Amino acid sequence: MQSALDPAGGDAWQLYWLTVVMTVGATLIFVLVTALLLYAVFAPPERRAWLGTRRTIVYGGLAFPIVVLSLLLPYGLIVMRDVDVPQPGALQVEVIGEQYWWRVRYPAEGEQTEFSTANELVIPIGRPITVSVTSSDVIHSFWIPNFGGKIDMIPGRINRFNFTAERPGVYRGVCAEFCGAQHARMAFDVVALEPAEFDAWRRMQAQPAREPAIPLLARGRELFRSGGCGSCHVVRGTEANGQFGPDLTHVGSRRTIGAGQFPNNIGTLAGWIANVQQIKPGAKMPSYGSLTGEDLRAMAGYLESLK
Amino acid sequence: MSGARTLQVLLALGGMIAWAVQFTIIYGVTSTLCGRGWADATIFGIGIVPLTILTTTLATLSAAAILLAVSLREDRRLRIRPASATDSFLSHAGVLINGFSLVAILWNGVPAFILPACA
Repeated sequence: MQSALDPAGGDAWQLYWLTVVMTVGATLIFVLVTALLLYAVFAPPERRAWLGTRRTIVYGGLAFPIVVLSLLLPYGLIVMRDVDVPQPGALQVEVIGEQYWWRVRYPAEGEQTEFSTANELVIPIGRPITVSVTSSDVIHSFWIPNFGGKIDMIPGRINRFNFTAERPGVYRGVCAEFCGAQHARMAFDVVALEPAEFDAWRRMQAQPAREPAIPLLARGRELFRSGGCGSCHVVRGTEANGQFGPDLTHVGSRRTIGAGQFPNNIGTLAGWIANVQQIKPGAKMPSYGSLTGEDLRAMAGYLESLK
Repeated sequence: MSGARTLQVLLALGGMIAWAVQFTIIYGVTSTLCGRGWADATIFGIGIVPLTILTTTLATLSAAAILLAVSLREDRRLRIRPASATDSFLSHAGVLINGFSLVAILWNGVPAFILPACA
């Protein structure tokens, strides 16, 4: 589960401490003011008289708030200055919000070729990341609480979010701006890997889809082709070259399907293909409930094999 | 309202007017320069946005400080001689409003020294 209270990067730590300082400070002031209020109401008049003196009002009511806010203001501004700063040599990733999933592009870098994936942001630890975000339809918001603040994804505009992951792990990102009926089911995994593991993952993702190893999977690929799935989805290395839906070239390597809705396995893939409109009403993929059980197993098996 | 009373009211509200002028100039100029892409321009080697904020802040800060000093002098003067309730109120209000305006103007100017021009 995502949590801003479990920072996994430097920027997130700064935001965490700002939150702690403000929450603890606000709580202490609230308790103090409440205690003084109760004292003013219930204490004998001769004992509470000091609360109404000019000295108390000037120091407690004017000087104290001015001093506290004068300290908080530069602290907050310094945090604003120091987080989300572009770094040289950052890994560039593009994320495009769609109703209701995430298109993720890794541009070419050095000898590494460009490729796309979906609903999963894989990053190396210790290297700055710049995520350029936009949207193809409505306003979404890109938020990985463990790594810092959220940023709007606005059609026709590119915003950038900069962060560095400090420790490996799987984190959850969410859409933080209401974007339609399935807004609550628009999540993604952030997988932070050791640099060598990331390089291996990137090389693997740039490869075309593997050939089916057994007849059942070959039949699944044929069903995928004849069913017209390739008009919306791309599977690199095959004739499927649709750009409307998620890239499925290595869909089997992802942790989840449906934008973070289910663990990725042959059962959930089959359920998704047959019942997507029941699972995620309003998603732009139709349900293929007319497939026989055997066909469904073959097609789901083929997709699951695309590691 | 008599001329003397008008001056009293203006003195009491003067700091707030200075703060409003600073606020309008800072936000207006910064938004326009950043929106038009002119924020990198410099005058005497200083960025035009921080320079605008600095000069506007210093000017309005000086105005608020002078108004506060006049309000304090007026307040002290009214303490040692009989004054109407309205005169006392306007005098106290002037000290408070001009004092707070001084702080608000300072707070408005602080970001220029910490954040980049178009953050």
